[in-house]
Amino acid sequence: MNCEVCQLKELDVEYFEIREVLRCILHTVFFHRALGLVRPKDIHLELFEITYVQCGDAELEKKVDEKIDQFIDRVEKHPNKKNQICLSFFEVKNKQATWFTHKVERLYWEQWYINLNVAQHPKPHSGKSHHSKLTVHPGESASDERNARRAALESSLHEVLFQIIKFVNEKKDHIPPIPNKEGVSFPYEITISSSSDSAFGMDMIKRMLQTGHPTMLS
Amino acid sequence: MELQYNNEHGRNDQIVSQFLLKTLHIVLESRVPSLRPPPSPPRSSSFVKKSDKWFNLALGDRPTAFTFAHRDPMIIDIILVQEMGQNQSGYGALVETVIERWAVQYEYSRASQSQSSESYKKTYKKSIILLRSLYSMMRLLPAYRAYRTKAKGKPCDFDITYKVSSFSVPFTRSEEQVMKLYTFFPVEAQHGHLSVSVKYRESLSDFNLETSATFPPEIITDYVGSPATDPFRAFPPVPQRPHSWTSGGPFTKNQSPPAYHSSSGRFDLSYSPSPSYDVYSQRTRQQSHHSFDDSPPFSPSPPMYLSSGGNYIQSRLRSETAPVSIPNPLFTRHLSPNLSDPNRHSLPPLSPRSTRYEPSSHESSPAIRSLKKSEMARVGDLSSASGSGSANHYSSSHKVSRDNKDDSGRFSGLLSSSGSPRIGFSRSSSRLSLQDELDDIDFSCPFIVDDVDTCDFPVSDVAFDSQSGAGGKQGKKSQDAAVGALVRMLRTAPPLRQDSSCCSDHVEAQSNASGLFMSRKTSDALEELKAYTGIKHLILSKSKDTL
Repeated sequence: MNCEVCQLKELDVEYFEIREVLRCILHTVFFHRALGLVRPKDIHLELFEITYVQCGDAELEKKVDEKIDQFIDRVEKHPNKKNQICLSFFEVKNKQATWFTHKVERLYWEQWYINLNVAQHPKPHSGKSHHSKLTVHPGESASDERNARRAALESSLHEVLFQIIKFVNEKKDHIPPIPNKEGVSFPYEITISSSSDSAFGMDMIKRMLQTGHPTMLS
Repeated sequence: MELQYNNEHGRNDQIVSQFLLKTLHIVLESRVPSLRPPPSPPRSSSFVKKSDKWFNLALGDRPTAFTFAHRDPMIIDIILVQEMGQNQSGYGALVETVIERWAVQYEYSRASQSQSSESYKKTYKKSIILLRSLYSMMRLLPAYRAYRTKAKGKPCDFDITYKVSSFSVPFTRSEEQVMKLYTFFPVEAQHGHLSVSVKYRESLSDFNLETSATFPPEIITDYVGSPATDPFRAFPPVPQRPHSWTSGGPFTKNQSPPAYHSSSGRFDLSYSPSPSYDVYSQRTRQQSHHSFDDSPPFSPSPPMYLSSGGNYIQSRLRSETAPVSIPNPLFTRHLSPNLSDPNRHSLPPLSPRSTRYEPSSHESSPAIRSLKKSEMARVGDLSSASGSGSANHYSSSHKVSRDNKDDSGRFSGLLSSSGSPRIGFSRSSSRLSLQDELDDIDFSCPFIVDDVDTCDFPVSDVAFDSQSGAGGKQGKKSQDAAVGALVRMLRTAPPLRQDSSCCSDHVEAQSNASGLFMSRKTSDALEELKAYTGIKHLILSKSKDTL
């Protein structure tokens, strides 16, 4: 059984947009992978003209928000880096203990990589700019630029949601049997990393040791 | 073996028929507002309807059940209905446009018989995923925006309906060109596969699906925030205090209430690192052209005051001074919504001249009163660009102060030119103050500013241009004309008296309780008259000096 990997299109976001964008993407993936009984809940984004669907599972929402908070804290501490969130689904298999593996083994069957490029906070213009004798208002071009950037992000986020739908439709054979429980069906983990981050590399090595190959399951 | 095959065949048929019903439910539930059942009280998670258990997707009550032959495709047309033009009976012709066509089909083929004895389980699992994808996709397509507009219950000039059949009239070539096809990955079943596809219009902008302008705008009473914290947020204006010279309402016969253009665009908002969500919720409140009548009498927070409010003298002074470049921050002015203001009804009646229709003042006022959306956006950007002090930046550099405390003056203006003295008038019922220092002026007319150094401001910041303003003649009139107008008004002013006839019973009772309508002595009036005479002489002497 293969471990399918989906690299989602990179999004250029501003700091205050992170939460909405991540919620939207993560919950959309979960909605397609929580194959137990769900009561879908429509969520209309505040910043964009986009509606996504949540599973209606309070526990899942709480965990997602906790991870997003961690991600935002990380972005604050390490600005100006490409950031990545990896959502992994796995099966738990009991295996004989060896000298380098645990007794419980995680067999990863799907991984989603959400790539965000967080822009630095724009510095406010100096007061002197108001005295400029140009006919164009100094704030006007900045406003237009911001509007264009917001529209571009909305369009890109739309593309990412289509990408998720396309992926879940095409890749169905690797999904394990559905456990008989409501809400989130499969065990999952969310890991956060950024470019030039050694922890992410270590995580990949650890998985290779556990599963033999990052994209294959034994 | 035969029994097992029949059993599986029966299960497969059941999955297919339930899949068709569930697909229909998903499509209609997120496209046709009239079919959506009213929200039922939340049930315990243990109680699940049989139909909800299918494909692990709890959607509530189904639309009217349809019966299908499995072999036939199910075509669901989502139709936009609009009234176009008008016929002799006064009603417009209804135009129906297919904006989405969903095709759901169990494509039967003997060749693709599954080998596995439990193939229906795989079919079922994959059907769950396909239906989840369909559910998500329904919310991403353009038609969902139209559905949401309609579902909000606001008056719309369109309707959404549907048609379910096993065949459909093919699209014309022109229709086909504007449609885009999306095909979901088919799910393998026992003797074929389940397929879902949609042809949809990429954009519905041609249909102009905003709420109808013919209906009165909805009143929003739950305004959030305060101009004190966000001075550039547009609030609907509130009615002015009824003065003793008006007939109870905020406007005289010839003065129309200023239009309020709300800034409800999604991208009008200036950047903020951590915006409060209520800022963005404006998007769902598409309001435009509020008049005074539509807004609540007083909101809890002091509203933005975006207009001159129809004060005759102010508009007269404005129209007779040369057009000046006005910095944006001066557009904002706070009015205290204090109903118990002691000066509210203690103002003298206006001169009879004031009721006469004057085209000049009437023409110029709408241009000054109304604020364009783009200008408000620029003001917002200006504030975000220059930090918190930007609002006061112009005020300090041009020595203009705003009257936030005393709005009770019958007139409070600023007459200035580069060579003439600057005199400020601020008059309440019992006092008259004359200020020579510009810094100390109580300035309750936010649009009259010093016209020196106007080149410092960009052209786009001018509040009214020569076309929308008072016309060519008005621009050429000298400063003395304004002085002359003021002198004429002072000369023809009637004696001071307390006229309570125009006030409402409620206000009168309130005023009597607070002792507002006390009789005044002739000596008080004489003193005021002397003061007026002094001002008149001063103005005349100053104007002679400038000539």
